[in-house]
Amino acid sequence: MHPATHPTVNAPDGRTYRTPLVRRRLLRGLLAAVVALPLVGAAAACGDDAASDGKTKISVFWWGGEARAQLTEQALDLYTQKNPDVVFEKTWQANQGYFDKLATLTAGGNPPDIFQIDDNYLTEYAARNTTLDLTPHQESGKVDTSKFPQSLWQYGVVDGQLAGLASGENTQGLVYNKTLLTKNGLPEPTTGMSWEEHIAWAEEVSKKTGVPGTMDASAVDKAFWVWLRQQGKDLYKGNDLGFTVEDVTRWFELWKDARDRGATPTPDVIHEGNATDITKQLVVTGKAATSWVWVNQMPELKKNTTDELGVIAYPGDPSGQWARASMYWSVFRGTKNADIAVDVINFLVNDPEAVKLLGTDRGLPSNLDLRRVVSDDTTDEAMKQSIAVETELAESFGESPQVPIKGHSKVRAELIKSAENAQYGRATPAEAAAQFVEACKAAIAS
Amino acid sequence: MALTTAPDPTRRGTGSVRPDATRRGTGRIRHGEGLAGYVFLSPWLIGLMGITAIPMLLSLYLSFTNYDILTPFSEVQWVGLANYERMFTSDPSWWHSVRVTLSFALIAVPLKLAAALGVALLLNRAWRGVGLFRGLFYLPSLLGGSVALAIVWVNMFNRDGAFNSFLALFGIEGKPWVNDPDWALETLMVLAIWQFGAPMVIFLAGLKQVPTELYEAASVDGAGKFRQFVNVTLPMLSPVIFFNLVLETINGFQGFTAAFVLSNGTGGPVDSTLMYTLNLYITGFTDLEMGYASAMAWVFLIAIAIITAIFFSTGRFWVHYSDGEDR
Repeated sequence: MHPATHPTVNAPDGRTYRTPLVRRRLLRGLLAAVVALPLVGAAAACGDDAASDGKTKISVFWWGGEARAQLTEQALDLYTQKNPDVVFEKTWQANQGYFDKLATLTAGGNPPDIFQIDDNYLTEYAARNTTLDLTPHQESGKVDTSKFPQSLWQYGVVDGQLAGLASGENTQGLVYNKTLLTKNGLPEPTTGMSWEEHIAWAEEVSKKTGVPGTMDASAVDKAFWVWLRQQGKDLYKGNDLGFTVEDVTRWFELWKDARDRGATPTPDVIHEGNATDITKQLVVTGKAATSWVWVNQMPELKKNTTDELGVIAYPGDPSGQWARASMYWSVFRGTKNADIAVDVINFLVNDPEAVKLLGTDRGLPSNLDLRRVVSDDTTDEAMKQSIAVETELAESFGESPQVPIKGHSKVRAELIKSAENAQYGRATPAEAAAQFVEACKAAIAS
Repeated sequence: MALTTAPDPTRRGTGSVRPDATRRGTGRIRHGEGLAGYVFLSPWLIGLMGITAIPMLLSLYLSFTNYDILTPFSEVQWVGLANYERMFTSDPSWWHSVRVTLSFALIAVPLKLAAALGVALLLNRAWRGVGLFRGLFYLPSLLGGSVALAIVWVNMFNRDGAFNSFLALFGIEGKPWVNDPDWALETLMVLAIWQFGAPMVIFLAGLKQVPTELYEAASVDGAGKFRQFVNVTLPMLSPVIFFNLVLETINGFQGFTAAFVLSNGTGGPVDSTLMYTLNLYITGFTDLEMGYASAMAWVFLIAIAIITAIFFSTGRFWVHYSDGEDR
């Protein structure tokens, strides 16, 4: 009679066979709808970035630690207070993986309106037209760089376009463990010592304290760069390298000599120190008496050690150093709210209250007037120290180099690889140098 | 991919369920039921299409372009076979990562399988508390590709890590294992071998299925333990060994997490842990050469497919299915 009826084991007695079938079908339909519904919902929820209440939402993305996040959020809240129509979607994360994420967001068509970037990647993004050219806004005064040192804002110019607004200034700093040196009656290093003198001093420190005197700088690109400038060379010249295999060989040999004399830690410890993480700098992990850092990192370094720290310029002629934009604020070219985004980044570097809030976390304030105010007002010893040192070094700064070219991040990775090859004794300085230059040429060609 | 065609290790001639046993009398799917079926499948189906199939095809297309992530799709340039050419002719780091991955798989996979089989043999007995040991040996695999485990590993095999303190008890001076280019990859191999739980459980299940009468017959014929292992256990277990071999080889080639964590995502020290997948990741996301990375991924896929195919073609010489006609 009903040949296709399902087995009706649990059907109640006294009903027709049809009821459970109908009910089953209904149930099935309902279940299917329940399963499928979230998908529809999810699809509908995508791609909506206008806040519902007529306010404009601006997304901001940066890397850094907890402290920077707090300061930045406060500064952005301050902007909302003054401009209630603008709200922010704030996202931040640790340094590692930041640029992977930024690239993926951009590829996914969902890049932040405003993002933090540094000179390792500025050209990569600017050359691919990802950053908004701020030049017209600078000319119209909406981005005010009149109080900036000229070399500082110019360090954000790529191919004639202002691709990033310097959110702070810093310069190379050699940080040393003051406590360790005084305890052992050793002299503190001073700005202007030659590289050879620095290594001789470090050898002495190793002998007296048992703590290696200096981190090996051969894999540190910022140290290599300063050294090159002191030799009258540069990292880049136009779209080419500014150095030769011979230069690199001499640099690697300088440090091989340092290692042979016991001035540095062993290669595996150097390898640890080559990680960019501040908490892994050998001077705070107690594995070396000096480390190669940026001056504005002093407050953060200080938080990771109980020892007293001092900071000076890198060895050699301090005019090899320059006022570097520690990082920039860039605006995504495709943003729907370019005017607001531009106003926000201008606010973050030129508004007295905002700048005071942010302090020296991203480097010394770019705006010179405000920098003076911040340095007069601060009570943080480490911040005072970085401001004092940088202000002192500013008197001898050399001219800013060009912003690193496309492929720079690869060049940095290759320097670490080649330098470590020499450190582990797997290649002679000359071999490692040849390998490095070849890899660099490939990196900047593509 | 190739996984779905791997033989089911637990399938045996006698006990298997006949596929038609669950089918209803009419044997036809009613209209409307098919639709509901697809609706129920939709979450998975959409996932498969959206997350796997379409991106895969897209990456095939991208592998012939110079796509760099930041440039919009519309401005991507077709470069033909240039990416593939570069890989084979002018990229030493690609060859290097191939060597690293091959040596990792060639050493770690056989050792891992041997460890899994050895422990499975030990645990295939009716000891008191054997269940606890099975659980304990399986535990490392539960933590699988976890980042936390890799971090623990790095700290254990540091210069001042637990392993060196242990060596010091015997007066042996350790090495900075994870920071030594001669040892970093080996440290990763040990980590991979240690996670032998999954193949071990499968081996255990296989061992349970070997009929005891075979052992009885063998011992009546005067075969010792070793002889029994070689002539009874191994042949009876060969489908399971085959299954584990295929699976673990593919896993071994795809090792990424531990190498990424150990090297901070750089493949260091001195590229010693630059596994293929890590190199691919760096090329795509750090160097922003996504087109080239896509080409690398496709060569990788084809290489794994070829290796799996080789396993399958050699399988008929050493894999014995007991439900064959000889039974």
